[in-house]
Amino acid sequence: MNILSVDTATESATCAVMNNEKLLGEIVFNYKKQHSVILMEMIDSLLKNLKLDISDIDGFVVSKGPGSFTGLRIGASTVKGLSQGTKKPFVGISTLDSLAYNLAYTPGIICPILDALRGNVYTALYEFENETLVIKSDYLVIAIDDLIKIINEKRMPVCFVGDGVLLFKDILKANIKNSSFAPMHLNVARASSMAELGVKKLEKNICDDIYSFAPFYLRKSQAEREYEKKQREMKNE
Amino acid sequence: MDFLLDSVEKTIKLGEKIGKLVKSGDIICIDGDLGSGKTHLAKGIALGLDIKEYITSPTFTIVNEYEGRIKLYHFDVYRVNDPDEIEAIGFDEYIFSDGVSIIEWSNLIEGLIPEEHIQIKISKAPEKGENFRIIRISYWGIRYKYIEEINV
Repeated sequence: MNILSVDTATESATCAVMNNEKLLGEIVFNYKKQHSVILMEMIDSLLKNLKLDISDIDGFVVSKGPGSFTGLRIGASTVKGLSQGTKKPFVGISTLDSLAYNLAYTPGIICPILDALRGNVYTALYEFENETLVIKSDYLVIAIDDLIKIINEKRMPVCFVGDGVLLFKDILKANIKNSSFAPMHLNVARASSMAELGVKKLEKNICDDIYSFAPFYLRKSQAEREYEKKQREMKNE
Repeated sequence: MDFLLDSVEKTIKLGEKIGKLVKSGDIICIDGDLGSGKTHLAKGIALGLDIKEYITSPTFTIVNEYEGRIKLYHFDVYRVNDPDEIEAIGFDEYIFSDGVSIIEWSNLIEGLIPEEHIQIKISKAPEKGENFRIIRISYWGIRYKYIEEINV
């Protein structure tokens, strides 16, 4: 079973081919969002170098979000097109699950954080239990200060991963004892990480439907935004 | 800062001066009644950004993108009924990007405008004549101090 995995949810544009036994190849560009320009060429070059044709692919995996609005749409439409054209199944995997999986077997909490702008992050808390990645919270879009509170209540070591690390490392380090941060080679969305989570689903015949699948944007409601704005204004007064 | 102008050409010229000064990531809100010249001012800003393409009002497309000295995102949110709608098209990723954002009718999505921005209000001055406009420029945030250099 050859799986093609595509992740364009963050600044990283990445694709990988994996079979049941190993990762056959992967491309990662973590430089400026130019996903719509380079993604198809990346997939083409990956397949060519592996001497594979798109018809040799048995299923697809795509990042379903949260992440960049445009990036998620590029990934979803590309994979939907490939899935429809080849009549092979596809499955969406959470960007946060995939990032957490980069840090497989890390003891304590694994906490992916993605910049959600306006001082917020997309995040969730994970732990590894019996070699399995287990999510321990909802998928959240919250202010970095609120995340710090949640983590400090857990009183466990925590390792952060994701583009939010670049922005918030200092504040996290200063406010959370026993925190560590993913090294650079793991601190990037990798299609291979997502592929492995996806393969496990596709093997069990869990897949998504091209007509009903939509990116998971995870946005704050307007009510929440207005409440925050009021809070800010009160602070300023 | 207030400018009293009496022609479209002068409005464009003022926009051009602003456009020459703006920096990557700047946010410029333009408000004023229909026909007051918001898009003409935007055209001037685009000229100042060395954009050669013809600028049209993005009333129907909501946002137009142009390549210049810095990338320009030109929004017109007149047709937006609810700030949630504009937020849902990835508004934040535009305005917090490296490009320059111009937002016409920004008052309709006030809650989404970051604290630091340039505000340009255009009002007609019928007592002076049909073509007269008062253009009031204010700014929030030290990064926009360059606005004070503008004169006509």
